[in-house]
Amino acid sequence: MTADARWTLGRVLLLVGRLALAAIFFAAAYGKLSPLTVKQWTLSSLKITPASLNLSMTFFAMQLSSYQMLPDWAVNPIAHALPWIELALGILLLAGIGLRYVAAAATLLLALFWAVIIRSYALHLGINCGCFGPNEKLTGWRVVEDGGFFALGLAVTVGAFIHGRRQRTSVSALP
Amino acid sequence: MNLRRLLPVLAGVALVAATFSVRALRAAPQGHADDEAQLEAEKSLGSPSAPIKLIVYDDYECPACGAFYEQTLRPMIDTYVAEGKVYLVHRDFPLPPPIHQFSRQAARWVNAAARIGKFEAVERALFDNQMAWSEFGSENPKGIMKPFVQSALTPAEFKRVERIMQGCESNDHDELKGCAVDPEIQRNIAAGELIPIRQTPTFQIYYKGQPYPPEAGMVPWTLLKQFFDQILSQK
Repeated sequence: MTADARWTLGRVLLLVGRLALAAIFFAAAYGKLSPLTVKQWTLSSLKITPASLNLSMTFFAMQLSSYQMLPDWAVNPIAHALPWIELALGILLLAGIGLRYVAAAATLLLALFWAVIIRSYALHLGINCGCFGPNEKLTGWRVVEDGGFFALGLAVTVGAFIHGRRQRTSVSALP
Repeated sequence: MNLRRLLPVLAGVALVAATFSVRALRAAPQGHADDEAQLEAEKSLGSPSAPIKLIVYDDYECPACGAFYEQTLRPMIDTYVAEGKVYLVHRDFPLPPPIHQFSRQAARWVNAAARIGKFEAVERALFDNQMAWSEFGSENPKGIMKPFVQSALTPAEFKRVERIMQGCESNDHDELKGCAVDPEIQRNIAAGELIPIRQTPTFQIYYKGQPYPPEAGMVPWTLLKQFFDQILSQK
């Protein structure tokens, strides 16, 4: 494989990884912000209103509290901020703005999530994960899946830094 | 016999059979619903017409259930249940040994007390003294909970509860044939398995009959109250 082909393949893989990572963050944010009582999966039932938003975030606060890791005063602010942080990361990853730093921040967040999930699984807490919405059990599969997300984040971050460095090198080599 | 003559007879028989079948099918869920309502009434607190219904699946020996009862449910019972905002329904989900050795026996005592309308007093006595009977239970497995149940009831009430408990003396976790309250506990477990429950306490909130997703683990009263307030403020 030529250097150019490798470069193109690297760019394609970076794009796919970045979009996959964005999809994960969008799904996580939507799961936490979507209405709690959906009887039938229709487009109108998935509509987010201010009231449903408040209720969903408060429900997420209860899920966060069941991890028994945060002091009571920290649960509400984190529960109300986290879905929006995930949404912002998803948008930035999709747009590819400041990719190196955004991917690094996303990977740090995924590492934190993974550590929390491993701890809770090891303690046999048997709680709901709350990762992609309510009533989602914290199982061994969730531990594996979160490990995969972290690996993907790490790969995108490394790829973004390599890609950025090569781009800078090729620009500075221009006559 | 002529087939043409037989046809109306056969049609009539089929019609009668179909009518009885439909009636039987309709009667079965009704009976089941009555049983469920009876079960709920015995082990519940507050008004059934309250806008919020909270169903809690508990194991009397689980420390998280004890903490949930003392720190979350007690303040809720004193306020939102007393004010008619919440209808609290208890369901048993005793985890088997070796996780919890005496959870089934505790559930039997509470169910027996529920039959004479003393659910709340005995539940409170067992949760208040959870450490005492769960830690030292192995020294006296058959009678370890008795003094705590006795302390929550009058002598006459305790005698009635003891009579209901005849046949439930074994500490066996499996359903006992002669134990009158075991079928009720089994029905609670079956309802919990439908969720399905992975941990106790697990609770599910209903607002005007609309279910919210089940949630597991210890949740402080401040957060649960915040959720209730938001539901109640909905139009």
